[in-house]
Amino acid sequence: MIKTEKILHLNSSKGRKVRVVREHYMREQVPCGSSLCQADCQNVGKVLSRDVTHYVVPDVGVVRDFLEILELRELQGIVLTQTAYQTVQHTRGRRHYNRLRSLLKDPRHDCVLFANEFQQYSYCPREKGESQDKWHTRNVYNAAVWYYNHLAGLQPVVMITEDRDAISEFSASNSGVFVISTQEYLLGFWPDLQAAHDLYHSIAQTLQERENDGAEKVYTEHLPAEVLEAGIKSGRYIQGILSVNKHRAQHEAFVRYEGSASKNTELNSDVLINGAKHRNRAVHGDVVVIELLPRNEWKGRTMALTEGQGEERPLEDTQSQPMPTGRVVEILQRNWRDYVVTLPPFEEMQSQSRNSQKILVVPWDYRIPKIRISTQQAEALQDQRVIVRLDSWESTSVYPNGHFVRVLGKSGELETEIQTILVENCIHVPPFSEAQLREMPVNTEENPWQMDSNEVSSRRDLRDSHLVFSIDPKGCEDVDDTLSVRTLPGGKRLELGVHIADVTHFVREGSLTDLEARSRATTYYLADRRYDMLPAVLSADLCSLLGGVDRYAMSVLWELDAETLEVCSVWFGRTLIRSSYQLHYELAQSLLNGEEVEVPELNPLKGSQRDQKMSELLQALETLTRVARHLRAQRDKGGALELEGVEVRAQLDEEKNITALVPKQPLEVHETVAECMIYANHWVARKIQESFPHHALLRHHPPPKQEFFNHLIDSAKAHGFSIDTRSNRALADSLERAVDPRDPLVNRLLRMMATQAMSNALYFSTGSCPEEQYYHYGLALARYTHFTSPIRRYADVIVHRLLMAAVQLEKDESPSKALACNKELEELAQHINNKNRAAQHSQKQSIELFQCMYFRDKDSHTDERCVADAVIYAVRANGFLAFVPQYGLKGAVYLKDREGQVISVDGDGKCEWKPGTLQKYSDKIITSTSTGTHTFYLFNHVTVRISVEPSRCHADSLNLELISNKPHCAVQPESQPAGGGRSGLVEEVVRWAEEASLQAEEQRGRKPKLSKEEKQFRQSKTPNLYVLLQEISELALMDLSICQITNSEEQTCTVSS
Amino acid sequence: MAGLELLSDQGYRLDGRKATELRKVQARMSVFAQADGSAYLEQGNTKALAVVYGPHEIRGSRSKSLHDRAIINCQYSMATFSTAERKRRPHGDRKSSEMSLHLKQTFEAAVLTELYPRSQIDIYVKILQADGGNYSACVNAATLALVDAGIPMRDYVCACSAGFVEDTPLADLCHAEESGGGTALALALLPRSGNIALLQMDARLHQDHLDTLMEAAMTACKEFSKVLDSVVRQHLEEVSDLTRD
Repeated sequence: MIKTEKILHLNSSKGRKVRVVREHYMREQVPCGSSLCQADCQNVGKVLSRDVTHYVVPDVGVVRDFLEILELRELQGIVLTQTAYQTVQHTRGRRHYNRLRSLLKDPRHDCVLFANEFQQYSYCPREKGESQDKWHTRNVYNAAVWYYNHLAGLQPVVMITEDRDAISEFSASNSGVFVISTQEYLLGFWPDLQAAHDLYHSIAQTLQERENDGAEKVYTEHLPAEVLEAGIKSGRYIQGILSVNKHRAQHEAFVRYEGSASKNTELNSDVLINGAKHRNRAVHGDVVVIELLPRNEWKGRTMALTEGQGEERPLEDTQSQPMPTGRVVEILQRNWRDYVVTLPPFEEMQSQSRNSQKILVVPWDYRIPKIRISTQQAEALQDQRVIVRLDSWESTSVYPNGHFVRVLGKSGELETEIQTILVENCIHVPPFSEAQLREMPVNTEENPWQMDSNEVSSRRDLRDSHLVFSIDPKGCEDVDDTLSVRTLPGGKRLELGVHIADVTHFVREGSLTDLEARSRATTYYLADRRYDMLPAVLSADLCSLLGGVDRYAMSVLWELDAETLEVCSVWFGRTLIRSSYQLHYELAQSLLNGEEVEVPELNPLKGSQRDQKMSELLQALETLTRVARHLRAQRDKGGALELEGVEVRAQLDEEKNITALVPKQPLEVHETVAECMIYANHWVARKIQESFPHHALLRHHPPPKQEFFNHLIDSAKAHGFSIDTRSNRALADSLERAVDPRDPLVNRLLRMMATQAMSNALYFSTGSCPEEQYYHYGLALARYTHFTSPIRRYADVIVHRLLMAAVQLEKDESPSKALACNKELEELAQHINNKNRAAQHSQKQSIELFQCMYFRDKDSHTDERCVADAVIYAVRANGFLAFVPQYGLKGAVYLKDREGQVISVDGDGKCEWKPGTLQKYSDKIITSTSTGTHTFYLFNHVTVRISVEPSRCHADSLNLELISNKPHCAVQPESQPAGGGRSGLVEEVVRWAEEASLQAEEQRGRKPKLSKEEKQFRQSKTPNLYVLLQEISELALMDLSICQITNSEEQTCTVSS
Repeated sequence: MAGLELLSDQGYRLDGRKATELRKVQARMSVFAQADGSAYLEQGNTKALAVVYGPHEIRGSRSKSLHDRAIINCQYSMATFSTAERKRRPHGDRKSSEMSLHLKQTFEAAVLTELYPRSQIDIYVKILQADGGNYSACVNAATLALVDAGIPMRDYVCACSAGFVEDTPLADLCHAEESGGGTALALALLPRSGNIALLQMDARLHQDHLDTLMEAAMTACKEFSKVLDSVVRQHLEEVSDLTRD
């Protein structure tokens, strides 16, 4: 090692410049990270592949400003220098730096870091008078030259830079390294990569414009770090996350506390940030620091219902009590993502600015401010949905600056809107890459997949000893759970088995498929399609426990006492199974009911053999039902378990109105299967928690806060019921009693409100949570996890690995690989929770999208289908919230319009707008006009007309208009398809979309061109909604994830209240 | 600006060293003629000057004297120009007094004080340039000065600091690493016996990691002892060459 010194000029803590001398050690051996290395470098981790045409070394400026281009996976053979790496760290902040780090870590990107400044021959010290940028560029160039020589000229090396002088200076030196500009590089080497060219132009333009900016300040400057730190410590400033009110995006935003900053007891609520000035350039989701305003400037939140769009007039009279109000003084962390935007109409665009290159675009998300982008394709981008990224927001600019990334498609088209929903929820589901598919085992006609003999001998073979069967929704492809039950020899013991697809056998930890599954975290179900977490060869074939084929499984086997059904022992491990029957729920229920039905697997058999098989199956099903009933009863006896049952029914109630397909009473066999799965999950949770008390992945459901139940209690009281919310059991019992015999909807709505009051179940790592918080409130279990659906949930994959490690630990074998520590696991749990939330949001939004598309082409005044019955479930200052059971949608109904007119009801129930006043009470709202008064009570039935409120830049929304205060006489229209309700709706919309696209294609005289991947993975060909919703409902059976859908909806309502 | 990354993913520290590598050490003995013993030591960019007087009669009040051994008096100070920003008070502040006390404890454990009852040994150490690891530089320099003064010791006293970043122990921290906010530990070792003369740590560290961290610090100390030994031997050769004539 050679020691030199580096002189730096830094700012001291007091703001003075200081001269700092740092040591700098250099060595001869620095790993180069290329597989072409001739000098036996000790490369660890990622190496550059040898089969690329060249290596590219980007200059500091390129990495700093054009990182997004380097992030494209098509660009290969990138050598990042330490010089560039550190400059990014110093100049662009943590977020940018972390992106660079994850780029380097990600094995899907072909790039490495070369520590050039520690390599003796590639480092050059800064010369006297040399500017820092020049020095950096020289260092990068030297590194490129060293790299070229180090590989003995086997690979051409290209250095790209934005520095014109450097190009002319270094190209002349003739060292074998080509020095060109980024643009030339892209044109020369990647002429077909349009995405890169577009990105380059848009970023370059933005950079250029940022340079010649300079105007008066619109916002106050953010505070320097020292002042801030002291302020946060002393409690003068408060740190939190900014969330913007969707309905009043320009005016209202709230900051929620992070941590226990509430030294001030009066400040335990959120803090209101009123107006754009006080928000000071913060965007929804940013971590901000705020300062409270003096008390006389505090404001209240707005109570009235407002429409999502249109001008927002401040309504002073409808404000509530003043609440803590503050202003943003600094933004600690930007949480910017990709935003979908729409360009304004062309005429507007021309009047908008003098130079037509800068355009203000409107994001799809209401909570995001307009973004200024520069583009020359404004005309081409009309009526398209476009992705942009934010770059900066200077204090001199009213709007943030961004740049254009890519086009999604024409707005209003189904495909575009679905993509929009995915992007807005940060869901990234590209088709599986070739490298990932190459990892997959092959199973084709010619080359069938076979079991490995080593695996066969190491696993417990249940193929001959156990009767294994699966019960799933009809037409299900990815069967991840099967069941077995048998009487052990001697007759004193029963053996219950739950066998789950062994995904972890195929998906090795750290493989590309594993990484992809980890980043997706779950299979995404949208209204008409799904995006799988695992490639189809696994999810629908090799992992799927199909009937009649040998499969690997992970099993939990309980030995139960045949009489008392007490658990005597439990066994966990890897097994081999062959599922004998692939039943569906209806079939299983019919068998149990003793009806004559055909089991497809038994068809080829004849006579007595068939009868014998049949009776075997029947007996197994009956035993299973008995066991499940017992398990359930046992848990009921354990106390506080009843709510879970309620939840199930409440969920199914939800389901009913989504599908209108699920029978009124859920089949018992649903519960039987669910009960077995809950049991398996519970036992696995116990096992892994005992084996790994500090790093096991569990799932908990925190008890809800009592104040969230207020709405439920008040509403029930209005109808004469009392609801006891002290414990989950009391709540369940009182909900059970709150039934109005005349109107079954009342109970349903009350249950809905109860679900809304609950928080969500979440994954967590046992090391980061005290033991008393492991409790699952909804299921009333002390420990719970997810184990039974590894094909569509990544959490289950982790749990499988933990369980295997626990089993190995028991046998005193050391686990093959070190397990994730608590910190990593907790991060992963957060990631999965976030992705689950995104999955639910996107599902909800896609359902809303389909609702809007359904009503879009109907004339709401003539079409019978646009008039429906609705129930009032909450009262607001200028209207009420109503639920339409027929279509399963909720919305606001206004009783007062913009001109101040109110609804008046005449003799036969017809409604009109007339001048008058409104009075709101806790359980009713009264309209009084010259013709008389009318009262709307909670749970009243009314008739509404549904129409679509079209929106250019945002998602369309549905508008409910009151037309009568009488219940809508429910004539079941014959035009409704037999399935009715939502599924018919989805199918119809899909058909329209397909027809429309077909027509468009025909006009262009071309055949529809669907790529293979699309056919394979998007699966929009047969939108089997039934299957999909069954799967969701099963998910709901096991936890409360679905209630979040309604929950979030309700939250938006309450925020506006 | 993002916080400094003390240990990169490739395993390099800020100054290009690997986790276990030490800074470059250079030392000279007998730099002053007036004192009984003196030494100058550079440990990376940390430069320390140590001077030893004694053993001599107790100065000042006699009541301090011990009947069975010598007392050791240490004084630590930093030059005003030793840090990036000029220091106002070169000695006597809280930090220096603490450091003096630590040095005193260290050398009371190493010097055979019972050979000189009712007498006193003075050790003065001055940091000329501070770049992390001040304590260890002082101890190492003072050891050489004591050797130069001919005061019998049980063994060399070697000191080294070690830090803990991302589950990896780092040996011999520089200033940027010390101020980076991680855990730092200072250890003075008598390398041949493996006895610890002083161990000091202010920050929090999980109990499980203490052993690995101490192990790293002790290995580093043993490295230092080799360097110190070679310095002493070289000095001896030079001196004996001079006296032979």
